[in-house]
Amino acid sequence: MAAAALRDQLTALLSSMFSQGLVDEQFQQLQMLQDEGGTPGFVSEVVTLFCDDADRIINEIATLLEQPVVNFDKVDAYVHQLKGSSASVGAQKVKFTCMQFRQFCQDKSRDGCLMALAVVRNDFYDLRNKFQTMLQLEQQIQAYDPKQQ
Amino acid sequence: MARKMIRVLLVDDEEINRVVARAALKAAGGGGDVLDEAENGAVAVQRVRDAVAAAAPYDLVLMDKQMPVMDGHEATRRIRDMGVTTPIVAVSSDGLPADVEAFITAGADDFTSKPLSKEKLGIILAKFRLT
Repeated sequence: MAAAALRDQLTALLSSMFSQGLVDEQFQQLQMLQDEGGTPGFVSEVVTLFCDDADRIINEIATLLEQPVVNFDKVDAYVHQLKGSSASVGAQKVKFTCMQFRQFCQDKSRDGCLMALAVVRNDFYDLRNKFQTMLQLEQQIQAYDPKQQ
Repeated sequence: MARKMIRVLLVDDEEINRVVARAALKAAGGGGDVLDEAENGAVAVQRVRDAVAAAAPYDLVLMDKQMPVMDGHEATRRIRDMGVTTPIVAVSSDGLPADVEAFITAGADDFTSKPLSKEKLGIILAKFRLT
């Protein structure tokens, strides 16, 4: 596929991520920091950190919610952490779900937490798939023109 | 006139936040600043103590709230107990008035919400005359 077509595909993907509310202006800020700072790979670094963090945190929360007696303070601390990581990368939908999740933690509702976990996991998997496609497209574009980031 | 180089201590347990803050500070400050990092409040207190002992105090401390080992409130209190007057800006996603008040009571000079951005850091640097 020609570089121009790949760039169009990337633009369309990013546009759909914004219009679906998956990412917000913070993600734009990261792209600007990368462009202005001349730091190729910055967005990729932050996205990778986010995906690794979120994956680990979601698994930790799932384990905590399987315990006979749930430590809701600990669950809340993990959700707070996930909310912070989401805010840093601009993962708006995951961040909003975390805000609702924290309310269930404060209410000490296991059912509510399990429901919120399912939602946050879906939101995260959806976003991770899109991020992975985005990074693959960027790599393919760069392969056409190594100077182009 | 060239702006003086400043020394900033960034305190946050999350690597992703430190990576983003590092890039935002570079963009806001022009890239010539020294940025030290601490992953919890206890490490931050030690870094501030070492900097004072070396007669190279920080010009600004950016302090997260929720961290393992020692949280941001306690670290801020301990830094102030050392007599250090360096501006401390609390950085947290918990921006309720009670959260802000708790940080100010602990000795912070200001509060800004996460995530840090070039614009927010620009405002902070200007407010404390670090531009």
